[in-house]
Amino acid sequence: MQANEWSLIIFTTVMQMAVGSFVILGGVHFFATRRYDAQAADTLSDRALLAIGPIVILAMLVTFLHLGNPLNAPRAISNLGSSWLSREVTLAAIFTIGGAVFAFMQWRKISTATIRNTIGLVVAAIGLLLVWSMAQVYLLPTVPAWNSPATVVTFFITTLLLGSLAVGSAFVLTYQYLRGRNNLPSSDTQFDILSTTLRWIVLISLVLLGVQFVVIPLYLANLAEQGSEAAMASISLILDQGGALFALRLILLFVGAGIFSIFMYRSLSSESRTRMTGYLAYSAFAFVLISEILGRFLFYESMIRIGM
Amino acid sequence: MANKLGFYFNATACTGCKACQVACKDKSDLPVGVNWRRVAEYTGGEWVTNPDGTVEQNVFAYYTSIACNHCTNPICVEVCPTQAMHQREDGIVMVDESICIGCRYCEWACPYGAPQFNEEVGVMTKCNFCYDYLDEGQSPACVAACPSRALFFGDIDELRAEHGELAEIAPLPPADITEPNLVIEPHHNAKPIGSPSGKLINPEEV
Repeated sequence: MQANEWSLIIFTTVMQMAVGSFVILGGVHFFATRRYDAQAADTLSDRALLAIGPIVILAMLVTFLHLGNPLNAPRAISNLGSSWLSREVTLAAIFTIGGAVFAFMQWRKISTATIRNTIGLVVAAIGLLLVWSMAQVYLLPTVPAWNSPATVVTFFITTLLLGSLAVGSAFVLTYQYLRGRNNLPSSDTQFDILSTTLRWIVLISLVLLGVQFVVIPLYLANLAEQGSEAAMASISLILDQGGALFALRLILLFVGAGIFSIFMYRSLSSESRTRMTGYLAYSAFAFVLISEILGRFLFYESMIRIGM
Repeated sequence: MANKLGFYFNATACTGCKACQVACKDKSDLPVGVNWRRVAEYTGGEWVTNPDGTVEQNVFAYYTSIACNHCTNPICVEVCPTQAMHQREDGIVMVDESICIGCRYCEWACPYGAPQFNEEVGVMTKCNFCYDYLDEGQSPACVAACPSRALFFGDIDELRAEHGELAEIAPLPPADITEPNLVIEPHHNAKPIGSPSGKLINPEEV
């Protein structure tokens, strides 16, 4: 493992989290607007939206650490015809700029809600395309450990799982902050938005957790079945050398997305237990974030190319 | 369309002296850790019990000298985000070091380990078929250096017509991934790709 692969671990994980947050936030905002009104829907989601910005910029900056010659970086978008890496970089740039424009318009309430929603929808679609292209980058015919549908599925699980839990944490944090400052308009409505959102986030987490726990054994079994020297070496890197980290990843994922989520669901029965909801939301997010970073570490670590 | 260049490697003549590797390194003044041409040592064997109860070994070893194969379907060119990696009319795959960003994606993709990262300059480097020598009518340094006449170059169509089409033996990857412009005369002990009967024993050198 080269030290500069940390930049790829951080970039892919954080960028996927940002895309997931943007998409989930869009969904929450859409339903909250239909149920109440745009103003009520904006209260919790606008702050969460603004938090995505610095995270994305950090992720983009980190990628420069991966380059041997960062001064040439702008050239990375010049082979869109055949290079998925070029497409990934281009989509990441468009997502970053589009997201920034949308967040600014939403913050300052520039233009009409319809136009803002349309822009938001386009940016969300670009984000999902970005995650797709990120996965395609790793589908190299020369790397059996990466060249699997599991790469695509896992990248989308990371996107939606981390996105959901990040939005969940941001909502509780914002809710408690505004309530603490007695700055929360129509708190019944806001608690309803908070609790409905978190219930959905718990359901999404549990489903994704289930899918992940099906995909991982299928992936390993498929890799073992290929039986090539490179495939077997990759399995060994995951299960032998990386065995402890792999186990830790699964445990953190199960506890974070599974157990903490279920307790979070139960804590939503009463507004008075919001503090407990917060602790559970932050813990679930932290556990899953660490789990995903470990998973991504093992993903890069398991890279063995065929040939010589 | 100009004729494509390729290498012909005769494994039955190679002694594993690595003069090709050293000549390449010297000619292009490559730093430590960067070896555009490398010689893989592939060996295997075990104890075999004969019908009469005696036991003997069937140990084997052979060498494969590999640089860039200037493939017909170069995966490095396909995946390069900058177009720094490009292919000339004559088939030579080159990296434009003034454009390369040093992302090392081609290094992940190439199953022959041809594109190599030069830490000193932060960009990828690779075999350029000694195109400057070719312009002067000389052979590439590796070909010229081979004392056992195991390594040749030329128009790949002519090489194939003369020596056949084989381009994959262990420990090389399957040829259909990149369609290398390489012809191999296999050693009599040569194993098919992916064979479990031997292994590369000098991985730190290749």
